[in-house]
Amino acid sequence: MYCVKVEKVVRHNKDTATLIFDSILPSYPGQFVMLNLFGYEEIPLSLSSPRSITVKAVGETTKALVNVNPGAIVGIKGPSGNPFTPTDTKALLVAGGIGIAPLLYLHDYLIAEGANVHVLYGARTADELVCLERLKSYEVATDDGSKGFYGSVVELAELKPLRKYERIYACGPEPMLRAFHRLLKERRLLDKAEFSLERLMRCGMGVCGSCVLPEGFRVCVEGPVFNAAKLEW
Amino acid sequence: MLEVELCSLKMKNPMMLASGILGSHASSLIRISKHAGAVVAKSVGLEAREGYKNPVVINYAHGLINAVGLSSPGARAFAEKLNSFKTEGRCPLIVSVFASTPEEFASLTSFFPMADAFELNLSCPHAENAGMAVGSNPELVREIVAEVKRSTEKPVFAKLSPNVLDIVEIGKAAEEGGVDAVVAVNTVRGMSIDITSRKPKLSNISGGVSGEAIKPIALKCVWDLYKELEIPVIGVGGITTWKDVVEFILAGATAVQIGSALFYSYRMLYSLMESLRAYTRQTGESLAELVGKAHE
Ligand SMILES: Cc1cc2nc3c(=O)[nH]c(=O)nc-3n(C[C@H](O)[C@H](O)[C@H](O)COP(=O)(O)OP(=O)(O)OC[C@H]3O[C@@H](n4cnc5c(N)ncnc54)[C@H](O)[C@@H]3O)c2cc1C
Ligand SMILES: Cc1cc2nc3c(=O)[nH]c(=O)nc-3n(C[C@H](O)[C@H](O)[C@H](O)COP(=O)(O)O)c2cc1C
Repeated sequence: MYCVKVEKVVRHNKDTATLIFDSILPSYPGQFVMLNLFGYEEIPLSLSSPRSITVKAVGETTKALVNVNPGAIVGIKGPSGNPFTPTDTKALLVAGGIGIAPLLYLHDYLIAEGANVHVLYGARTADELVCLERLKSYEVATDDGSKGFYGSVVELAELKPLRKYERIYACGPEPMLRAFHRLLKERRLLDKAEFSLERLMRCGMGVCGSCVLPEGFRVCVEGPVFNAAKLEW
Repeated sequence: MLEVELCSLKMKNPMMLASGILGSHASSLIRISKHAGAVVAKSVGLEAREGYKNPVVINYAHGLINAVGLSSPGARAFAEKLNSFKTEGRCPLIVSVFASTPEEFASLTSFFPMADAFELNLSCPHAENAGMAVGSNPELVREIVAEVKRSTEKPVFAKLSPNVLDIVEIGKAAEEGGVDAVVAVNTVRGMSIDITSRKPKLSNISGGVSGEAIKPIALKCVWDLYKELEIPVIGVGGITTWKDVVEFILAGATAVQIGSALFYSYRMLYSLMESLRAYTRQTGESLAELVGKAHE
């Protein structure tokens, strides 16, 4: 473990913020860190750029993180885990809720690689959509129709010619990913897709076995990014 | 050349997965069982238990320090999870149990019909009223073993702590209670402090050290137990290379357990197995012939 300083905090809405660190963490998009906010818990968070995380408050630690002040020192293990496989061709990014976090990093990375990137991004309400200004080409979906497509991001994806993308990357709540998995399976596109998954993590370094999937993979080492065809859903 | 028989368990090699490492789900145990002589599941108690808050494991230059705090879904739920091992597992399954009293220990065995043997956790260094807290008292150890043996026909192993004045005394007490083998050792008490935040790194402040750092300590425990006991000794603590496995066998271990080394690779046991195969081919002796040879 080592420490970094939170240099800047950007609050996106009442429960989501991006914390920018004072140093770059050598990493690839899709990788995560175990972040220890001292006095709270150590939790897994995907990098939303080489020097930031984007967090949604859902419990004690994430609430404290969203409200942290610049200058705070946090402990970091990692970055670790298996990153997304990059492409320099046509890429589709599909995000649900805070699942946008690792995809923001991927988005910037792929564009720098010269890829043609399009993003489908869904949330419950317009207010929950964050960092849209960072996205070059996107469409949004909201469950309440307050912005963009009225419905889920998977329903939006269903209307798209998914085949024309060389690679598809998705991150979001598991029910959303499972629905998207069904759609990709129907269209025989599973092997083109990569999903970033979440599990309760303890050690974050591959030994304790808390985050093991029924397929036998560890989310912290073989994941969090998996080829969708490898998931027996 | 690698096969060993341990208290009637037939093992394809002497390497067992140690308790608490990748042992909370049947899927990881099944995956490791392909190359393991046996696997030990994560220690389980009667009731569900959260364990400590993260951080619960840290790594440093010579190993790991953990204070997971015996987190467990409880006996009934865990037994359900382990069921699929029966059909898909490729080696014997040992279920590790923890409790505070002899009666509670004994009540756990009936939950696990899929177990080929039981390991009694008398040695976790960081749990209240369990592990080392009960395993440092020879009288209590004798009673626990005797009570568990009454509850099951299957082999029972006692896992001992190195954090005691005399590990042989505890080993003897377990032997008198009728235990089938002793496992030495669990982790060695230790801690680490972060100098930037000036705070202990583990949420529980201290925990148990495992990995390369503790190998000489574990080896000495195995050596002493082999000399004084009649029953088999299972060596564990810091085993990372095939040479470590041979060292423990020469010190008197019939079998070994490997935990922290899986930090380096999920396929650790596979590569150790291949190296041990090459070693036995070179010496022309089976591993079983080497047990305790360093004492001669
Ligand atoms: C690889 C990985 C990357 C992640 N990346 C991000 C990210 O970029 N941004 C972000 O905001 N969150 C991310 N998460 C989720 C984040 O780790 C959890 O929200 C956090 O651990 C909750 O901690 P807490 O103390 O605030 O909440 P708690 O009080 O512990 O829990 C609040 C709620 O969240 C659930 N929860 C707790 N931990 C997890 C978990 N690991 N996965 C899923 N649900 C959980 C609990 O069941 C509970 O319902 C990621 C998780 C993983 C495994
Ligand atoms: C993360 C972690 C969790 C552990 N959990 C348990 C446990 O539940 N029960 C137990 O008997 N030993 C537990 N141990 C101890 C190991 O089984 C083993 O005795 C110890 O780590 C020494 O072996 P090693 O150096 O090969 O890891 C745990 C060790 C680690 C690192």
